[in-house]
Amino acid sequence: MLRIENARRTFFAGTPDEKVALDGLTFSLDRGDFAIVIGSNGAGKSTMLNAISGALMLDSGTIEIAGDNVTRMPVHQRARHVARVFQDPMKGTAAGMTIAENMLLAELRQSRARLRPGLTTARKARYREQLSYLKLGLEDRLDTQVSLLSGGQRQSLSLIMAVMGEPDLLLLDEHTAALDPRTAALVLGATLRAVEALKLTTLMVSHNMQHAVDYGNRILMLDHGKLKLDITGDEKRASTVASLTDHFSVKTDRMLLGG
Amino acid sequence: MEEMFSIFVSMVPVTLAQSLILSFAVLAVMIPFRILAFADLTAEGAYPLGGAACAVAMLAGIPAYLAVLIAFAVGTLAGLATAFIHLKFRIHTLLAGILVTTMLYSINLRLLGRPNVPLFRETKLFDYVSFGPQTANLSRIVLVGVLVVLVLIALSYWFRTERGIAMRAVGDNPDMAEAQGNNVNRAIYLGVGTASGFAAFCGSLMVQSQSFVDVNMGLGLLINALAALMIGETILGRRSIGRQLAAPFLGSIIYYQLISLCLAAGLAPSDLKIATGAFVLLMLGLPILRKQGRGERLAADKVRE
Repeated sequence: MLRIENARRTFFAGTPDEKVALDGLTFSLDRGDFAIVIGSNGAGKSTMLNAISGALMLDSGTIEIAGDNVTRMPVHQRARHVARVFQDPMKGTAAGMTIAENMLLAELRQSRARLRPGLTTARKARYREQLSYLKLGLEDRLDTQVSLLSGGQRQSLSLIMAVMGEPDLLLLDEHTAALDPRTAALVLGATLRAVEALKLTTLMVSHNMQHAVDYGNRILMLDHGKLKLDITGDEKRASTVASLTDHFSVKTDRMLLGG
Repeated sequence: MEEMFSIFVSMVPVTLAQSLILSFAVLAVMIPFRILAFADLTAEGAYPLGGAACAVAMLAGIPAYLAVLIAFAVGTLAGLATAFIHLKFRIHTLLAGILVTTMLYSINLRLLGRPNVPLFRETKLFDYVSFGPQTANLSRIVLVGVLVVLVLIALSYWFRTERGIAMRAVGDNPDMAEAQGNNVNRAIYLGVGTASGFAAFCGSLMVQSQSFVDVNMGLGLLINALAALMIGETILGRRSIGRQLAAPFLGSIIYYQLISLCLAAGLAPSDLKIATGAFVLLMLGLPILRKQGRGERLAADKVRE
């Protein structure tokens, strides 16, 4: 479903600040894979998500989604394949527009917007049903401006919007990190239910090792822009928080020694 | 006092006709500014451009109703130029608009050949709807009023279609709009281009209404339009797209009556600018003063807006 081949991206090339963010990153996801991406700060997790979504172009290498080479495709064309939920609840929704209008935008991700009325009664009924799964009461507030919602409500809406139309690839960029624990659990629960029910191919970036242990069928660990670990199958089921953090500490020790 | 009032009343029809025409310029300022978050000054240049294009077309024997359409098209090009300068060279929208407006001044002069050109013998749009002698203002009010209603209906339909809603998202959160598959650049070209088209259309109506075109007719248009918009938005609010679309028209009607009231009160025309500035300040300041009156603190990021 997703194939990344030898992806390279360097920031500030040719200056003392040169930083190789992606250094020949190569991996692929099968249809239905739910991979948790871990790695220390600066390992290249965000750069990788930006490269997949199209917000950032690669210096070299290729990215294929659902058999489509998207390497040079701008964000708005990749939107047919990719949906993304950001860490910042403000990023995924249009604040000045209503809940229903935001959901319409998400629905239009996979089709061309046309010159016909947007919010039909049929659509609103469908949105009401989709929102009711969240159990936040948002289904009764279709015409409420999103700016009036709390961060958790906005993030839940972002999630519903992202899974609408069953995207080929769902990118979750630490999407519960900015929420309070209770809300985070709620959004995460909704995420897991949706990914499970729709069998979505998902990349979830998280700093929470427990998430990596508990959820998904794969753990991808990035380090210095490369894939350091790809844990699947029995090894994934046997992994613990301690076994994962070991990989971090080795690296940290080496960093302390100047290696 | 009584004299002032009677002067004001006698001016109501001519002011109403003027304000209906100028409401299209207010719309031209509102669309980029409020819907696309693209602060645009092109209207100030597109308005005389529309006037010039219309005059040149009519002098060449083209009928009035086609001349206004030509003006619209030429104005659209001016807006596209501004959008292009911003999107291609990443120049600030305000500067892009100033550049285009500055260059348009020379173009307008070239088009006209001299600073002002009368249009006395040509048949104007308003001549088609004559209600008899001494009813020039009435035919203006009726004709432009119908145009206003048609444009309002068309725009409120458009901004509720799939494409219209997508365009509003581009102004609200461009990154999100793009991530949902919308071509942000295309929306900006379309919105800013059409808006300048309306400014030029407004210029062409004004030229036909006053029977002459002046290369300096755009001077101060922008601040007048902004004042009208602020008044309209203060009254109607911006809670829904319908209110946002109606604000330029209501604001224009009220603003020009206020200006007329100032004139009737004996204010010299040269003093109007300070009145206009005061209106804008008052409209922008009122909500803040009201908030402070309620003891609310302003968020730091709101202070500079």
